[in-house]
Amino acid sequence: MELQAQRITAGRRWRQDLMGGLLLLLSALAVGVPAHWPLVTASLRGELASLLERERQARRAAQFEGIPTPDLAETYRLWEEKRALFVDARPHAEYAELHIAGAVNLPPDSWDRLASPPLPTDKDHPLLVYCSQESCDDALKLARRLKEAGYTRVMAFTGGFREWDEAGYPVDIVR
Amino acid sequence: MRKVASVVTRWLPRLLGLALGSLFFYAGLQKQAAPYEFTDAILAYRLLPESWAGLTGALLPWVEIVAGAALALGNLVPSGHRSLGEAAVRLRRSALLLLVLLTALFVVVLLITMARGLKIACGCGLFFQRPVGPAALVEDLLLLGVAAWLYGRSDSPA
Repeated sequence: MELQAQRITAGRRWRQDLMGGLLLLLSALAVGVPAHWPLVTASLRGELASLLERERQARRAAQFEGIPTPDLAETYRLWEEKRALFVDARPHAEYAELHIAGAVNLPPDSWDRLASPPLPTDKDHPLLVYCSQESCDDALKLARRLKEAGYTRVMAFTGGFREWDEAGYPVDIVR
Repeated sequence: MRKVASVVTRWLPRLLGLALGSLFFYAGLQKQAAPYEFTDAILAYRLLPESWAGLTGALLPWVEIVAGAALALGNLVPSGHRSLGEAAVRLRRSALLLLVLLTALFVVVLLITMARGLKIACGCGLFFQRPVGPAALVEDLLLLGVAAWLYGRSDSPA
């Protein structure tokens, strides 16, 4: 009898909690949707990709101010003509698994630990940094550090390793 | 010794609840301050169609903010408070249930993404960017464990 009463109480509590959780969810919906109305409407109209691309370009232009950001075709030309040293800003495990052929690995956080970073001594040598994908920030961090260290010709490929790999361009592993 | 244990038993869940609520509140604030980056991160998981990604990018940060704030507030009300005591318990339990379901969903999403071998940023918010991988999974499991433990022992206003 007592056990049954406990079960009923637990069931009632569970339903109360579920209703409470649903109310919190509806509150979030009531605030979140109007707060980000352009995002929601673009998404429903099938225009999310173009909205995100516009926002991304604006964000990247502000973040990478003063750092040239060649597109995929230009990046490939730089690689093919060996006009720049490619610097992979991703963690070493990801670099070891697969990276742009010929690139050296320099995650921004490892800079201070390295006695001699794998970089040319000539500070005017063109460098092209990249990280995983469009939304990662490590290429930006590294580009800034390289500029602070005195490198004058730093570029960033914002499409990252994913865009390069998806285009089928040459990649390599650490042997 | 018994007194120390009693203080720990009484205050530990309250402090953990406050910390967990604040953590989700902060993570939600960070995401809602950068909704386009967050929606980009959602799309990178390749689990949702575009028509749902925008709504998720708008809603999810506020779910974390609202649930985090509710949990923190529910833990700030003194347990013996005559009029607010029971309401605080209900608020705590509702917020905890929502956070348990949310973190369980995150764990499933992380596992699927790891199984598919996608190398993407987790978009989890908080203090630094990290990729989808074992560290992010352990972090989410820890949050899930704490939320579930707090939910399991929040039956009474004590």
